[in-house]
Amino acid sequence: MTRLASPRLAAYASLAAAGLVGGLALGRVEAVALAAPFALALVACAAASEPRVRLRLSLERDRVVEGDELQATLELASDGPVHRLEVLVPLPAELTAEGGTVRALRLRAGEARTLHLTLQCRRWGAFRVGPVLVRASDALGLRSREGEAGDGQPLRVYPSEETLRALLQPLETQVFAGNQVARSRGEGIEFADLREWRAGDRVRRVNWRATALRGALWVNEQHPERNTDVVLFLDTFAEVRAGGRSTNDRAVRAAATLAHGYLQRRDRVGLVGFGGYLTWLVPQSGLRQLYAIVDALLTSDIVASYVLRGVEVLPPRTLPPKALVLALTPLLDERIAAALLDLRARGYDLVVVEVSPLELLAPAAEAPSSLAHGLWRLSRAALRFRYEQLGVPVVTWRDGVPLAAPLEEVKAFRRLARPA
Amino acid sequence: MLARAGASAWDLTPGAALGTLLLGAALVRGGAFLAGALWSAGGTYIGFLAASGATVDPTAPLVAALLFLCGELSGWSLDERWRVRAEPSLAWRRAAAVGGLALAGLTVATLAVALAALPGGRGVAWTLAGAAAAVGAAGTGVWAARRF
Repeated sequence: MTRLASPRLAAYASLAAAGLVGGLALGRVEAVALAAPFALALVACAAASEPRVRLRLSLERDRVVEGDELQATLELASDGPVHRLEVLVPLPAELTAEGGTVRALRLRAGEARTLHLTLQCRRWGAFRVGPVLVRASDALGLRSREGEAGDGQPLRVYPSEETLRALLQPLETQVFAGNQVARSRGEGIEFADLREWRAGDRVRRVNWRATALRGALWVNEQHPERNTDVVLFLDTFAEVRAGGRSTNDRAVRAAATLAHGYLQRRDRVGLVGFGGYLTWLVPQSGLRQLYAIVDALLTSDIVASYVLRGVEVLPPRTLPPKALVLALTPLLDERIAAALLDLRARGYDLVVVEVSPLELLAPAAEAPSSLAHGLWRLSRAALRFRYEQLGVPVVTWRDGVPLAAPLEEVKAFRRLARPA
Repeated sequence: MLARAGASAWDLTPGAALGTLLLGAALVRGGAFLAGALWSAGGTYIGFLAASGATVDPTAPLVAALLFLCGELSGWSLDERWRVRAEPSLAWRRAAAVGGLALAGLTVATLAVALAALPGGRGVAWTLAGAAAAVGAAGTGVWAARRF
C-alpha cells in the first residue's frame, strides 16, 4: 500500500518546529504556545498504528441479463484499529450502484464487517468488477495508506431479448429433423398431396375417402419437419451512438433474440461478426450454442478499421449452403454493403435488417448540413433499392419499434417477390 | 488581535489580508496554500508581539487553539468535498479528535505561558528543566519523524 500525507502534515510539522525554534531565538513563550497544539497533533498521528486491512470482493452471480440487479459483497477485516477506512469499487460505465460505490467506515481491532452494494446492469457486455481501492486514514486525516485489494470479479451481462411470436422461415430446409415444414414430401404431419399407392407405402397412409372415390389405393403425402440453418451476420464496422443508445446495441439484442428463437426450435444457428475484428461461429444447435453465441456477442464491439475484407475470408463451414443469412447492419460502411451483395450473388437466402441510425442523428438547421443529410438519405435509399432489385428483402428497423415489425415486413416482401 | 493592536493595526493588516487570501485559495485549490495561510497568521501574531515588545500575552494559548482549529476545520472541509457514504460515527469521532487536541493544546500552551509568567525564573533547576524540555521535544520530534 502507498503511504500518503495530507498537506497539513508538512504545515503542522513546520509550524511546530518554527514555533519551538522561534520561541528560543526570540525569547517569546507565545511562539512555543502557538506550536503546542500542532506538535500534539503530530505526536497523536505518529502514535497511530499501521493499518492492516484484509478485503474480499464477491458477486452474487457472474451471469445476469441486461437490466438485472445483483449484489456485490465486500468482506472487510483488520488486525488493528482503522479510524477511517474508505473503499471504492471501480465499475465500468455500463454498471451503476445504488448510492455510489464509495463507502467510509471505522474498523475496530479484530473486527470483521460486511458491506453490500446493489449493482444495476444497464448494458450488455463482459466486465470485470474490482479490484477494490482502499484508503485507511488516521483520525485527523493527516496520514493515510492507499492500495488495491481483492481480485477483479468477472461479470457477463447478457443482452435483453424481445419476445417474438413468429420467426422468419428460411426458404430451404436441411436434412435433419426439426420444426420447420419443408417443401419436399415425406413423413410428417402437414398434408401435402395425394398420390397413387406404391409398393412399400404403409397402410396408415392410405386415404380411404379418395380410395373409395377412385376405386384404387391412394395415399396421403406430408411435408416433413426439418431443421434449418440460420447465420446471423452482424455488422461491426461502424455504428451511430448518441445519448446512451447505439445501433450496435440494438443489433446485438436482436441477434440474441433471434438466436434464442431459432435454437429453441432446434435449428442450427451460426454467427458472423463482420467488421474490424472478424469473428465467427459455425452453425450448431443446442443450449451450448446459445451460450457460445451470446458470449461472442458480448465482445462484439465496434473497432475502427480500414482493411478491405470480403466474405471469402470466412471459413467454408461458417456459411453452409441453403442457409438463411440474417444481416443486422446500419448500412453505414461500404464494405458491408459489398459483402452482402456478394452473399446474394453466391445464392444465399439473404435478409437485411437495417438498424436505422436516423433517429440518433439530428440534422443541423443550417442549409448545407440539411442538404448533406438529404443526400445521405437518398444514397441509402438507392442502396436499398439495389438490394430489392436482386430480390433481397431490406427492412428498416426504427428505434422504439419491436423487432417483430420488420420481420413481418420481410414476410410481406416474400409473398410479393419470390427470389430466384 | 487587530482590534487590540490599536495604532499598529495598519501594520498588521497586510499579513492578515495575505493570510485570509491564502486561506481562501487553499479552500478553492484543494489545500495547496493552507500551510501559507497558517504561517501567515501565526507569523503576523508573533511579529506583532515581537515588535511591540509587550510582556507575555495571556491570550496566546487561545490564539494557538484557534489557529489549530482553523487548520483542522479547513482540512476537514476539504476532505468532505467528495460525496462519500460514511457512517455517522466517523464525523463525531473526528470532531471529538479535533476538539480533544485543541483542548489539549490549549492546556499545554496555558501551562507553558503560566510557567513563563512566573517571577524569578532563574536558577539551576529552571535551566535543567528547560534543557530537559528541549531534549524531550527534540527526541519526540525524532521519534515522530521515524514513525512517518
